[in-house]
Amino acid sequence: MWIPIQINENSAEPLYHQIETQLKSLIISGTIAEGTLLPSIREFAGDLKCSVITVRRVYQDLEVQGLLRTKQGTGTFVSHVGEGAMEEYKRVAVEKALENAVDTALSVQCGEEELNEIFRKIVKDKYGEAK
Amino acid sequence: MAQQAIELRNVSKKRPNKVIGPLNLQIPQGYVTALVGQNGSGKSTLMNMLIQLTYPEEGEIRWFEEAHPDGLPLTLRQNIAYVPETSMAEENFWTPPEAAAFRRHWYPGWDQPFFEELMNRFEIPRKARLSKMSKGERRKFEIASALAARPQLLLLDEPSSGLDPFAWRTMLDTLRQYMDDTGATVLISTHIVEEVRRLADYIVLMHRGRLLGMTEKDSLFGAWNEVWVNAGSEEELLELTAELPGTLQAKLEAPGVGSFLARHFHRNEKRLQDMGVKVIKSRSLELEEILSLWMEGYHPDKD
Repeated sequence: MWIPIQINENSAEPLYHQIETQLKSLIISGTIAEGTLLPSIREFAGDLKCSVITVRRVYQDLEVQGLLRTKQGTGTFVSHVGEGAMEEYKRVAVEKALENAVDTALSVQCGEEELNEIFRKIVKDKYGEAK
Repeated sequence: MAQQAIELRNVSKKRPNKVIGPLNLQIPQGYVTALVGQNGSGKSTLMNMLIQLTYPEEGEIRWFEEAHPDGLPLTLRQNIAYVPETSMAEENFWTPPEAAAFRRHWYPGWDQPFFEELMNRFEIPRKARLSKMSKGERRKFEIASALAARPQLLLLDEPSSGLDPFAWRTMLDTLRQYMDDTGATVLISTHIVEEVRRLADYIVLMHRGRLLGMTEKDSLFGAWNEVWVNAGSEEELLELTAELPGTLQAKLEAPGVGSFLARHFHRNEKRLQDMGVKVIKSRSLELEEILSLWMEGYHPDKD
């Protein structure tokens, strides 16, 4: 199966990290369902144009984190992602994005009041749109 | 590191007008190692030594952790398949089934159903004599029969030369699948950078009979960047690049804009920011460019 991972060659982020982060979010967000058989290490490396060494490392890491499991002779599957992990992932992703936004505000000397005001306005606009 | 399929220790080979070596190299089992380098850099001579078509004057070669100075034992040869740069003339007057029958005799692990499957997959004509085939068809036959022997070690000397893009993709897929099934080791010499990108795990670079080094392919990711910055004058640009380790080819591109190549730029980007220099743009160098720099003596892994 084809896994939609996009490698950015001009990014400062190491190749291995780009693949791991994207695969992880595909699993946790449920884009790749529980029980899905992932491509073999060599096949995936061919798709991504990287080496099997990198893909093996990613699979091993995600296995340790409980997101993947390997059945000898069959391949690597997506494990059950608990409700807790999903909530945790959501919180971390949002927190990280907000932290970046606050850092930007600090770097242009935007005050706390002003930032809160901008934040509330954006929330109102966006959530209004969503409805 | 994994067990070695091949190991070279101080191997030298004298050719009429050049010397190959001394070569020190370890090829790990279960991986694809790409051998790259210009024409005449010694890649084919190295391959020939690995199948004992020629012998080094000095040094030692080990196969699966053992040296065989008195000749490769038959059982080991039966586990090595070799696709030479130019096909052997001995098989010229045979059709593919006839040549396969001959090879089957020498390779006890020969897998006839697999051979038939590959003949179909590669669309190799069955009735034509090998010498009457097009270069690409002959190449496909060579690759199919190398794999049908079910070897543990594949030595492929420019296997894709003459293949059309469709056959080329089929070859890459077939090799990958074979390695998945068997855990075999592949040493492939090639001039096609895209082949290295899609297939290789390790890269070995040869230049004028010497090994410039071996590296894990992905360690080359982001090894070099081309960077454009604001710079008032050439002096200013040179001052600035002197502050960064591993910069090359600094030049003024236009009034106020300078460019240079930087090794592991992302590690040093902050230093530029601290100096108050504005980076206009940066791009990662392509594998091809990284390899050319390496041939010029600029090793990608060193700072």
